[in-house]
Amino acid sequence: MSQAPEILVRVDRAVKHYFRGSECVEVLHEVNLEIERGDFVGLIGPSGSGKTTLLNLIAGLDQPTSGHIFFAGNEISAMNESQLARWRTNAVGFVFQFFHLIPVLTAFENVELPLLLTNMSARRRRDHVRMVLKAVGLDHREHHRPGQLSGGEQQRVGIARALVTDPALIVADEPTGDLDSKKSKEILDLLQMLQEELHKTLLVVTHDPNVAGRTRRLLRIDSGRLIEDRCDANRPLPLRRAAPVAVSSNSAGLVDQPG
Amino acid sequence: MSKFILLMLKNLGRNKLRTTLTALAVTVLVTICVVVLSVVATVRMQLSTEASQAKLIVTERWVAPSEVPVRYIPRLTRIRGVEDWTTWNLYVGFFDKTLRSDRAGLGFATRVENLTRMHGGLENVDPAVIEALKNEKSGVLMGSTLMQAMNWKVGQQFTFFSTSTAGKDLRFKIVGVMPAGVYPLSFFFRDDYFAEGTGNKDTVSLVWLRLRDASLAPRVISQIQHDFASSQPALKVETESSGVARFVEKGKVILFIIDFVALILSIDMVILLSNSISISTRERRVEMAVLKVLGFQPLHIVAMVVGEAMLIGALSGLAGAALAWGASALAQSGRLPSDGITSFLLVFPVPAQAMMWGALAGASIGFVGSVFPAWSARKVKVSDVFSRIA
Repeated sequence: MSQAPEILVRVDRAVKHYFRGSECVEVLHEVNLEIERGDFVGLIGPSGSGKTTLLNLIAGLDQPTSGHIFFAGNEISAMNESQLARWRTNAVGFVFQFFHLIPVLTAFENVELPLLLTNMSARRRRDHVRMVLKAVGLDHREHHRPGQLSGGEQQRVGIARALVTDPALIVADEPTGDLDSKKSKEILDLLQMLQEELHKTLLVVTHDPNVAGRTRRLLRIDSGRLIEDRCDANRPLPLRRAAPVAVSSNSAGLVDQPG
Repeated sequence: MSKFILLMLKNLGRNKLRTTLTALAVTVLVTICVVVLSVVATVRMQLSTEASQAKLIVTERWVAPSEVPVRYIPRLTRIRGVEDWTTWNLYVGFFDKTLRSDRAGLGFATRVENLTRMHGGLENVDPAVIEALKNEKSGVLMGSTLMQAMNWKVGQQFTFFSTSTAGKDLRFKIVGVMPAGVYPLSFFFRDDYFAEGTGNKDTVSLVWLRLRDASLAPRVISQIQHDFASSQPALKVETESSGVARFVEKGKVILFIIDFVALILSIDMVILLSNSISISTRERRVEMAVLKVLGFQPLHIVAMVVGEAMLIGALSGLAGAALAWGASALAQSGRLPSDGITSFLLVFPVPAQAMMWGALAGASIGFVGSVFPAWSARKVKVSDVFSRIA
């Protein structure tokens, strides 16, 4: 039995202006977009085309100059900074090109960081972090600091950190941009597993054709306008599972929804 | 909460050299601050103790050092309302011939029979010690700090080389020690031994009169002024508390300067910490943006930055105060050579509570010093930071 697609993200006539001195630069021009839950979406385009700006808007890191952004039916473009911070903790996981792990913390502590903002007990936090680290294949490296890990391992920690609060959406900005081709493939495999096995919605900004080739849907942006929206009709959206068995036997999901 | 503190501690360990240098600088400044403030605290404490309206000090009006004729004493002590009396002859000099400043001392030749009644703080001196003083003409009751500094023991003898009565050096035998904090750097001995040894049987430095009631002070003062109006030498009489007040007036400027120095040191510490925290937050701008991306509220960022500064301030403050207290305790116990700064610490001991105040002051300085950097850090706009990286 097929499930009806559910719209997770809706961008409604989003416009973003920046001021460079007295000059007004329009980075996004009336972008309309819908992303279905569980989809793997790639966002490509030349430098300065507005990719990262659109990503920031969808992830609640920035506000549109005009237009609206909805996430699971709630308008996030109307939230203030504190509301957005709270929302991000639970709703969005971030994977960065340069990993951005906290250098003084171990892999375990880096992954645990977002959970410190929840009211989860220390014991459950520990269990969840270990489970997620195991899922990304780093359970044996939990006590290592970022400086003691390879680039690929650091990115796995970054993915584990993005995953630990069980967000519906994972956004990644050039997640393989700082990795060699072998490590890139490993990371892409891992991201694809998140989408297919855990039914995560992935939005990936990339220049890398290999990454773009893995996505189910590919958006091309240029000069602040979406100029192409291509979907691989042969790849259906993964079925939503009751329990992410690949990672956890916890029937409530990867982690309990905090707060 | 403990995780946040752990995070702050780890952040402090991120640039160990900078953190160590900052902590060291604050520690040194707090040490100096504590030592300097201990002067104020000691002076204020001593001034506030037992200054009484019920005790009068009679000195010679125009001459310093004062020389009150002994012949005045019967007339003074017969005045109605005077309950008890004693005299002091100041005996100034050195404990050895080197005449080094840290070997200087001040003795009070006084009556033994009412020594404990006339001197606040001596009420609980062992009667056996007083008895020994009565039996031993050259006996001396030593201040506790002085004993420790000289590393002397009861029963030991020493010669005091006088400068107030040149050439009249006296040999003493220690018969007892005064309670801690009471005349800690002075000694008491018998007035008859002083008179015999120095040949000064005609004058005393001052006369103490204890009144039956403090309310009698104005009348007794007025009576003395009247009775001795045409005497030569003329007398000055005042209550103990007004004498203290006069000293305080003179000392106010010094205390103000010391307070001012402490304030400057505190401002120094604020600037130092503020600078260090500013550099640290600037370096971690991207990291703070990442924290915000992960869901940290601006207030979390402020708390983290302020917390780090308060932590380093409190720990350094505690260390600085502990250093000052430790040095003072060692000096007081005679385990440090009594010269230079040590002799200073002997006179102005640092109390143990200074450690608590040091930590609190350090934390407060950390708070003040980190407010602006923290405020700036909270305003990091995540999208700006990422667009710069990209």
